[in-house]
Amino acid sequence: MRATIAIFIDAYRELNSRKLFWVVLLISLMVVGMFACLGIDSRGFTFLHWSIGVGFINTAVMSEAVFYKQFLFTELGVKFWLGIIATILALVSTASIFPDLVSGGSIELVLSKPISRLRLFFTKYAAGLLFVTLQVGVFSVGSFLVIGFRGGVWEPRVLLAIPIVVLFFSYLFCVCALLGLLTRSSIASLLLTILIWFVVFILSASQTGVTVMRSMAEERVRLLEEDIARRERELERLQGVEQAPSLAAVGNSILVASKVSRLEDRRKRLPGAKSALRNVIWIDRGMRGVKAVLPKVSDTKDLLERAILTTEERERLIRDAEREMSSIDMGGDDEEIRVDMGKVQRQAIERKYANPVWWIVGTSLAFEAVVLGLCAWVFCRRDF
Amino acid sequence: MPAPVATGAAARFDGEWVIDVRNVDKQYKSGLLGRGRVHALRGIDMRVHRGSVFGLLGPNGAGKSTLVKILMTVIRATRCDGTFLGAPVGDKATLRRVGYLPEHHRFPDYLTAAQVLDFYGALSDVPRADRRRRSRELLELVGLTNWSDKKVRVFSKGMRQRLGIANTLMSDPDLVVLDEPTDGVDPVGRRDIRNILARLRDERRTVFLNSHLLSELEMVCDRVAILVQGVVSSQGTIEELTRHSRRYEIEVGQESPAAVAAAVSSLSMNVPLSVSGAIVTIRTDDPTAIQPALDALRARDVVIRGVRPARASLEDLFMQAVTDPGTGRAIAPGAASAARGEAGNAAREGLGIETGARS
Repeated sequence: MRATIAIFIDAYRELNSRKLFWVVLLISLMVVGMFACLGIDSRGFTFLHWSIGVGFINTAVMSEAVFYKQFLFTELGVKFWLGIIATILALVSTASIFPDLVSGGSIELVLSKPISRLRLFFTKYAAGLLFVTLQVGVFSVGSFLVIGFRGGVWEPRVLLAIPIVVLFFSYLFCVCALLGLLTRSSIASLLLTILIWFVVFILSASQTGVTVMRSMAEERVRLLEEDIARRERELERLQGVEQAPSLAAVGNSILVASKVSRLEDRRKRLPGAKSALRNVIWIDRGMRGVKAVLPKVSDTKDLLERAILTTEERERLIRDAEREMSSIDMGGDDEEIRVDMGKVQRQAIERKYANPVWWIVGTSLAFEAVVLGLCAWVFCRRDF
Repeated sequence: MPAPVATGAAARFDGEWVIDVRNVDKQYKSGLLGRGRVHALRGIDMRVHRGSVFGLLGPNGAGKSTLVKILMTVIRATRCDGTFLGAPVGDKATLRRVGYLPEHHRFPDYLTAAQVLDFYGALSDVPRADRRRRSRELLELVGLTNWSDKKVRVFSKGMRQRLGIANTLMSDPDLVVLDEPTDGVDPVGRRDIRNILARLRDERRTVFLNSHLLSELEMVCDRVAILVQGVVSSQGTIEELTRHSRRYEIEVGQESPAAVAAAVSSLSMNVPLSVSGAIVTIRTDDPTAIQPALDALRARDVVIRGVRPARASLEDLFMQAVTDPGTGRAIAPGAASAARGEAGNAAREGLGIETGARS
């Protein structure tokens, strides 16, 4: 235990000696300060006592609580600042931990101590996460106070950002640790980690896109089938009407012919739509399979949104997104079988929320466990 | 040097052999797929007695650091029998009783000297109160008291080396392993380090020293081993290793070389005798054996300027061990080759040295 405490104290001293740690902490505090200065009223944004009128965001669109919790804290603070900028800075600060540990002249000093390599590795790893924990801790506590004082809502679930962001960072840090052990280079491990992060992000974004396409294809098949069924019933009704030869009968037969033609057109389209749906389902399953073994970086960050927004607040956000997307006209089709993008958007969001937390966290932690297992194997078996 | 090296050793190792290893073998994988093999150590046998100062020497690439790193668990041996402080080699708990100064060690430069000692002391499981006390004492011992609160990054190489020596003593160890301890240290610092080593020996601690500075090893070591291309070329006390090179040198006046030649040729001694310029060399360590030679020289009125006992220096032993007798050139550095085995054997035979001698 004495050795473990010493490694943690050393990690703090190391962080303390790095200017970047204090720079990031300072910027975090400035971001929180900026949040405190921002607000909304009936006209738009406010900055201190100035009001800036904008149409798309005001108290009619969202409440002050949602503005602070969802817009400022979750979207800007966590997803953008902590999730991207601060994460990159944290990786820059921590990328050298393992290359420094295994560098010649340094590793001999620690490996020759009565501490097992496994314990040494995992203690160093945990100490590396200390960086992000302190950063997110300061940011989240600051944001909690801002949301409380400015938004009027004392929301302790905001502090869930600490474990969620640390969890998200740990997915990247374990990759960085493995690359650091293999390459012994801070720069190489940093750049490769960011590259892998980018690839995972692209795969995740592509999978989301494919999910939207799947919803569109499903909706299109459903609309076609419903339209065909409706037309068949209508045609049956028209053909069932016994009429004496007359002008009306001629008109009716022309109408029937027209309906038959439309029906045949729909029937011709249906196999193509079903085939497209089958294809997109296969692609979606394939991408879900690939995504299952990778860390869910975006989904993990979205967990915070799930945690801090009430059901009503979330439903309102979905409705807004649905309304926004409904205005998009995909064109091409007749009105009866035109896909409503708003509905597709709602399905995509609901499908995203339908992913259970255990699946998001569990599969990501499984990835992390595998990578850390590899790290431990490399570290314990290597001759230095 | 006012402060004691250490105090209150709790459970001291009381076995006879601090290091008693056999068949130490290390093969490194090489090549892209790891199919190649580099044989760094080839079945080393080594014993280090408790309370002795043991010197390990050898040319670059001989495997000295590999052997030390195997003992310190930094490298895993391909094979290693025997014990280290009474436990199997690789036992982590044993390292509590060992202080180790690696060659080219690098302390975190954001720490002060006192923090370095505190951190590595904690890793060695030294209680906090002991760390504080020992830190003060040891910094005083190595002459860094006024630098205890200064960051290591501002230290010169010699100061870092002194700090490294202090660090090895933090855990009040039974065994101190020093890899090139005087590297980068000025003459005053070297003398201080030698004094520390002498004190450690007086306290019955064992010191395992790995150095290129042969004259320094000669001054402090009880026993030495010469490692060449992964095998122990020779091992023993300096007395044992130089027994066959002991001789008496008689310095004579240059006035009558003919008289010297006549005196030498008249002698019928059963020890080798040779004349080179003004020096008559008699290969014996028995002073009575040279008396007939002195009598013969004096009988021919040869002036005797001096008589002195002589023996090969550690450097002579080292050079002979690393020289290929066939070519007269130094054996190539690096891991052993098939040809080296023969050359090494021939060199050892030339020296009359026992191979891999067990004491």
